[in-house]
Amino acid sequence: MKVELENLSKRWGNVYGARGVDLDIKDGEFVVFLGPSGCGKTTTLLMVAGIYKPSEGLIHFDGQVVNTVAPKDRNIGMVFQSYALYPHMDVFHNISYPLKLQKAPKAEMEERTQRVADMMGIGHLMERKPAMLSGGQQQRVALGRALVKEPGLLLFDEPLSNLDARLRLSMRSEIKRLQLELGITSIYVTHDQVEAMTMADRIAVMKDGQLQAFATPEELYDRPRTMFIGGFVGNPPMNFAEVAVSRRNDSFHARREGLDVVVPSDRGEKASASDKGIMGIRPEDVTIADEGVSGEVFVVEPLGRDHLVTVDIAGIYVHVLADPALGLHIGDKVKVNFNTSKVQFFNPETEQSLLWA
Amino acid sequence: MSSTTPSMTAVLPSKKTRLSGHILAIPGAVVALISFFLPWLDYVANGTVFLSLTGREAASSPAITTGSGAELFRATPTAYLVPLLGLVVLALTALAFWRGYVTEWDGFALISLGIVTLIFVWLQFTNAQELADKANTAVQSGYGLIGVYLALLATIIGGSLHVRTATERKPSLRGLLSAWGFMSPGMLLILVFFIIPVIITLVLSLTDLASSNFSEPWHFVGLDNYKRMFSDTFFPKILGNTFRYVILTLGFFNVGLALVLALLTTHISRRAGFIFRILWLLPRITPSVVYIVMWRRFVQVPPHGIINQFIGWFGGEYQPYWLNEAPWLFVVMVNGFVGASFGMIIFSSAIEAIPKDVMTAAKVDGASALQIIRDITLPLLKWPLLFVTTYQTLSLLVSFEYILLLTGGGPGLYTTEVWSLTAYNRALATYFGSNQWGYGAAWMFVLVVIGATLATIYLRVFRFDDLVAEPKIDVL
Ligand SMILES: Nc1ncnc2c1ncn2[C@@H]1O[C@H](COP(=O)(O)OP(=O)(O)O)[C@@H](O)[C@H]1O
Ligand SMILES: [Mg+2]
Repeated sequence: MKVELENLSKRWGNVYGARGVDLDIKDGEFVVFLGPSGCGKTTTLLMVAGIYKPSEGLIHFDGQVVNTVAPKDRNIGMVFQSYALYPHMDVFHNISYPLKLQKAPKAEMEERTQRVADMMGIGHLMERKPAMLSGGQQQRVALGRALVKEPGLLLFDEPLSNLDARLRLSMRSEIKRLQLELGITSIYVTHDQVEAMTMADRIAVMKDGQLQAFATPEELYDRPRTMFIGGFVGNPPMNFAEVAVSRRNDSFHARREGLDVVVPSDRGEKASASDKGIMGIRPEDVTIADEGVSGEVFVVEPLGRDHLVTVDIAGIYVHVLADPALGLHIGDKVKVNFNTSKVQFFNPETEQSLLWA
Repeated sequence: MSSTTPSMTAVLPSKKTRLSGHILAIPGAVVALISFFLPWLDYVANGTVFLSLTGREAASSPAITTGSGAELFRATPTAYLVPLLGLVVLALTALAFWRGYVTEWDGFALISLGIVTLIFVWLQFTNAQELADKANTAVQSGYGLIGVYLALLATIIGGSLHVRTATERKPSLRGLLSAWGFMSPGMLLILVFFIIPVIITLVLSLTDLASSNFSEPWHFVGLDNYKRMFSDTFFPKILGNTFRYVILTLGFFNVGLALVLALLTTHISRRAGFIFRILWLLPRITPSVVYIVMWRRFVQVPPHGIINQFIGWFGGEYQPYWLNEAPWLFVVMVNGFVGASFGMIIFSSAIEAIPKDVMTAAKVDGASALQIIRDITLPLLKWPLLFVTTYQTLSLLVSFEYILLLTGGGPGLYTTEVWSLTAYNRALATYFGSNQWGYGAAWMFVLVVIGATLATIYLRVFRFDDLVAEPKIDVL
C-alpha cells in the first residue's frame, strides 16, 4: 500500500502534536519515524491509524483520501510498546480476534491463526493468557495479531522499547526479515537511532512535531541537513564547535582558539560563505595521533572495542574513539587529528547545513 | 512467568494439598454443626432422634434433673462424646490449617462458628437451672460445646501459626505478634460493630421482650419468635417482596443503569463525563427525607403531582394516584436512582483503567464501538461487576428507609413491605402500641443469616480469593 501524508497537523488547543508533515511512502517500504520523546511520532502514527482525526491535512492510502475512514476499515495492523494484548483472551483468541471480526469461517480462522503463530514461534503457547508469557513472547503475539489479517500497512509504535537489550537485538532483525519477506508497507516509530539506522529503508526525522528530514540512513549519516539531525543520528553523537572558515593561500582553514584545521576545498568553500559556522565531526573521524591539535584527556570511557575519550581542546570537549591499546589516562597530553573529508558545517543561527541544501 | 516471585507461589498450597485440607476440615465442621444444632433440635422437638449421641439416657435418671451444671455434667459421662469427637477432629483441622493445607476461608468459617458456639455455651450456663427442667440434653450438650469451642480455639492458634509459617518460615514471636497486632484494630471494630450486635440480636430474638410486657420479667422463649415469624400469613408475601425489590433494583439500576451510565460517561469527553457523573451522585448526597419529599411531589394525589400536571398540560385525561397505581415502579426507581451511582463510579473507574493501547488495538483490529464493549470492556469489567452485584445485594437487603418514607410498606397491606422494613416495624415502630423487640430481632437475625450466606456463596462461587491472589492485568 502506498501512503501519502499531505501537510498533516494535529493540534489540541494551541499545543501541536504534529505540524505540517509531508511524506510519501512507497509500496512495500519500511519507513522509520525517528525523534526524541514528545516530538509527535505517536501522534502522526495514530492519525495514520485513524485514531486521531487530523486537524489539518490529508492522508492518502493508494491515492484515496482516508481522513474519514474508521480505523477498522483502513486495513492496518498495529504493534504497541505496551503490547496491548487482550488480557482476558488466550494467545489463540488474541491472534484470531481480527479474523473473528471479519467473520472468517472457523476452519480458515484456525488455520491462519496457527500459521501466523508458528511463523512467530509461539504456536505451542496457544492456550496461555498474556500474563503467563514473557515480554518477548507477548510481543510475538502482538505481531501475530497485527499480521494475521494480512494488512496493507503495518504500524509499529516503539515495539521493542520494553524488551531487554539482547532480545531487542534479535527481535529487530526478525521484524526486519519478516517485513522483507512479506513486503508489507511499514511505519515504525522509535527514538532509538540505532534501530532506525539498521531497519529503515528511509528515516523520517521529527522534532517538535515537524519533519526535519526524510532520507535513507546513509544520506542522513553522511549528509545531515540540520545540526539536529547531525547530533541525533549516530552514536556517540557528533562533536560541534563554533569556527570561522576562511581561505588562506590555496587551502581552507577552520579556526578557533587552540584549533586550526585544513578542510577540503569543496566543503571549505561552501562553509566560508558564512563568516561564522559550526563545525561538526563524528567521534570516529577524530583520532589520537602523533601530530595535530593539542589537548588534554578529560575522561576515558571504555566501550569494549574502543575507548570513548573526551579531550579538552582549549575549553571545548571533543569525543574521540580511540584504541584501548593506547592506554590513555585522565590528564594525558595528546594530539588529535581530524578526518576533515567527513567534516560538516552548519549555520549557527538557522542550524541548517552549509554544505547540503 | 518472570513476574511471579518464587516465594509467592510457595505460600499457596497446591490443588491436591488444598483438597486434602478440605477433607480434613469438613468432618470438623460437620461435628461442630451437629453439636451446635442437636441440643436445639432436641429441645424444640423434645424428641428421641439423637439421644445416644447427646447422652440423653443418662440425663433421664431422676438424680440429675436438677442441680448445678457441674453435677449434671458428672452424672452424664456420655456427654463427653460430642466434645471428645469435636476435639479430635478439630485438632486435626488445626493441624491441617497450621500446615497450610486449609485455605483462609475455611479457617475463617470455623472461627466464626467458634464464636457463635461460645455464645450458646454462655446461654446454657446462665440458664442451666431453668433449662434443666425442660430438657437436660441442652445443658449437657452445652458442656459438649465447651469442648468444641476449645478445639476451635486450637484452630485459631493453629491459624496464627500458619500465618507465621507462611510469611516467615522460621518461627518468630515478634512476627506473630505484629501480624495479629496489625489486624487487631480492624478485628476490634468488626467485633464491636458487627459481631456483638449480631450476638445481641440473636439473644434478643430468643426472648419475649416487648413494650407490652416490659414491666414483667422477660423470658427466654426458645424459638417461639421464629415459629411465629415463619407461620405469619404475610410471610410469603414479604419474602416475595424482598426478592422482587432486590432483583429489580439491582438488575435495572444498581448494576444495569450503573453500567450504562459508566459506558456513556466514559465514551464522551472527559469533562462532560465527569460533570454527568457528579449529577448522578446528587440523589445519594441528598438527605433521604428531602429526596423522598421531592419524589412524593411527583406522584401526588390527582390533580396534584408533577406527573399529573404534565399530563394535564398536554390535555391528558388519565391522572391516577401514581403511588397507588404503580407503587413498585416508584419503590424501585427511588432506590435505583440512588443506588446506580455506586456502580457507576466503580465501573467508570474500571473502564478508565483499561489501557488506552488495548482500546486502540481493538479499533485497529477492526472492532466497532459495540464490539469493543462486548469483547473487551465487559469481560475486563468482570470483577467490578461481581463486586458491585455482591455488595449491592447485601446493602439492598438491609435498606428500607426510602420505602418507609415513600410508601411505608403500603399501599394497603404489605404491598411493598420488605423484610428489613418488617423487622423495623415489629421491633421499633409503635405498631398497635407495642414494640416487640424480641420478635423483631428474630426477623433481623434471619436476615443476617441470609446475608452472610449470600456473601459466602458469592465469595465462593465467584472465587474472590482468586481475585485477591493474582493480578488481573500484568503491569509491565
Ligand atoms: N491527547 C493529547 N492531548 C494533548 N496533547 C497531546 C496529546 N497527545 C500528545 N500530545 C502532545 O503532543 C506532543 C507529541 O506527543 P507524541 O506524539 O506522543 O510524542 P512521541 O510519540 O514522539 O513521544 C507532546 O508534546 C504531547 O504532550
Ligand atoms: Mg510515543
